[in-house]
Amino acid sequence: MARDHHESRSDVRSAAVSLLRVGAVATFLLSAAALMLVSTPAQAVPPFARQTGLACEACHTVPPELTPFGRRFKLNGYTLTTRPPLVSDTDDHKKNTLWLSDLPGLGVLFQATYNHYDRAPPDSAVPGAKSQSENLEFPQQFSLIAGGAITDQIGGFLQMTYDQPSGTFGVDNTDLRYSDHTQNNDFVWGVLFNNNPGNQDVWNSVAAYPTLDFSNQSLWSAGGAGGAGLTSAFFEGLGGLTAGPTAYIWYKDSFYLGISEYHAAVSGSGTSTLDSTNLSAGGGALQGWAPYWRAAYERDWGYNSASVGVSGMYSRFTPALIAGQTLDPGFINRYLDISYDWQYQYIGQHNIFSFLGRYTREKADHDPGLVPTYYSNRSDNFDQWNVTGTYFYNRHYGALVNFVHASGTPDPAILGGNGSPGYQYEVLELDYLPWLNFRFILQYNIYNVVKNNQNPFILLNATNPQASNNNTFVFGLWMDF
Amino acid sequence: MRRLTISSLLVAAIAVAALCARDATAADSLVPHDAAAWDAKALISRACSKCHGFTGVSISPLFPILAAQQASYIEMELQLFRLRDRSDPHARAFMWGIARALTDDQIRALAQYFSSQPAVSGRVSSNAALAQKGKLIYEGGVPERDILACLPCHGPNAQGIHTFPRLAGQHRDYLSTQLQQFRSNGRESEIMQHFISNITDDEIAAVTEYLASK
Repeated sequence: MARDHHESRSDVRSAAVSLLRVGAVATFLLSAAALMLVSTPAQAVPPFARQTGLACEACHTVPPELTPFGRRFKLNGYTLTTRPPLVSDTDDHKKNTLWLSDLPGLGVLFQATYNHYDRAPPDSAVPGAKSQSENLEFPQQFSLIAGGAITDQIGGFLQMTYDQPSGTFGVDNTDLRYSDHTQNNDFVWGVLFNNNPGNQDVWNSVAAYPTLDFSNQSLWSAGGAGGAGLTSAFFEGLGGLTAGPTAYIWYKDSFYLGISEYHAAVSGSGTSTLDSTNLSAGGGALQGWAPYWRAAYERDWGYNSASVGVSGMYSRFTPALIAGQTLDPGFINRYLDISYDWQYQYIGQHNIFSFLGRYTREKADHDPGLVPTYYSNRSDNFDQWNVTGTYFYNRHYGALVNFVHASGTPDPAILGGNGSPGYQYEVLELDYLPWLNFRFILQYNIYNVVKNNQNPFILLNATNPQASNNNTFVFGLWMDF
Repeated sequence: MRRLTISSLLVAAIAVAALCARDATAADSLVPHDAAAWDAKALISRACSKCHGFTGVSISPLFPILAAQQASYIEMELQLFRLRDRSDPHARAFMWGIARALTDDQIRALAQYFSSQPAVSGRVSSNAALAQKGKLIYEGGVPERDILACLPCHGPNAQGIHTFPRLAGQHRDYLSTQLQQFRSNGRESEIMQHFISNITDDEIAAVTEYLASK
């Protein structure tokens, strides 16, 4: 999605002019960014703990990263419980026709941050002006969570989040699933509906279900900085903009295969398949059905668990680039995203270590009608490495290192300058968890490379914006209950 | 496009068929349940089977095989879980919560159910020499380092005796983890600690290879 970012030329004045000229693009970007921001990963889920009576560490090494058992709980449709239902209607054959839990499956997630930027970022409204170099977000995100067993084989997870930087409130994650397994447990299978491709996954090495709590709180998420934002693979930005069914199997506690199809979801003014005026106001829409697939293999031994997998999606998308354009027929870009991921976990009595990551490659084919005005090339590639290592002692003290490197085909029409979408950054984090549902973090984001309009400081220094200007210190609080 | 639509319909059809198979008809009553209302079958369906399988044969070595386990042993362990008197990491994480509200009757019924399931035969050992070394330790111990034989308590075929558990055919990784836990007192057992406190990793590898192949 961020491949569609489009901004300035060689100086502040031309940057502003360029922004006006492609105002529709900017509007689209902001709308999309706002929707992406409220699409946060599921964290530890208090309703599940209340339902199962299990400790957090049954399902999580440290939230939100899942243990092997946590993966099985999700694959089994969130239905595990030893609590009998409060009421149970029965028919003439003594079969249940209603199953209601004796506990409301509700929870709260609260996240707050103090951000300090190494350099005051540019003001988003006044070209050339600076903003403040620090801010306090209390909350940064506030979520209401509903989850758990609905019947004895249907369970769900719903999350509504208020996101302070964007000022939006939305339903960011939905996951309703039916699951069953064979008598000998060889096959667990299920069908589900969700609204965030990849969030149905059970390994934290996929982009839609990451292990990071505070996913890179920097200028990109502070809002209003005016930069195009960091480029990411198209399918990583569809949370909340799409919905669809998935069918999956889990064989011999080792092999996972899931097939999904997603369709554009009507979501506020961001996306609509019904009204092309919404398209011109921002957003864009998937065309038809977009298939998503996922295969993975896991092996558990002793205190160790390792997995490798691949996921991918093919999407046809009409971006909101031209005011007044219609969806049918519309200009259609085609994106093929494939991501290879791995995860290793050592879950010892005192020491917990994880090493996980992914390599994602995207091939974007742009509609000929949009080239060369909005895209320089008919076809662009984008590659990204994302590697994370975590260590926790007694689930109280922890450290995290995240390394991200991106490169791709230069496309000046999207990103200005030489058009390269390259960037590289590291996240260093220290954690203290007095309780597993209460976490303090100290985080420093180090930017080595941020090319072209991805760097918001191009609005203050058009000729030589420094990547390190984006370095950010974050103090954060996360809790759920 | 047609292919995608057909597969969408297939996904939907599977879901609808599965729901219809629940055979729900008109309701005629509201039945309040209490904590003891579920029988063993309901508990196994809603909880135990997710990790241990319907018949007590788990796939993942993280979770023990319970089929043909000694009923007295299962009952004793479930009571220990409920009382929080067994505190190895997996007990804390999983079984304390699962067993917290079980009644004595439910515990007895679960123990009877799993103990009556047919035993699974062990896998064929890929290292016969190691398994043979394990057999010698199982039957004779390592007297020079005060490691007693396993056989007197666990039986000649490792089938278990009363509150001493069946070990035959168990996941090797699971057995290995438990022995390490006993050795470090991560899992409390005065008997096991006393008898195997000097056991080495090589000896654990041997005896678990033998037992997993029984």
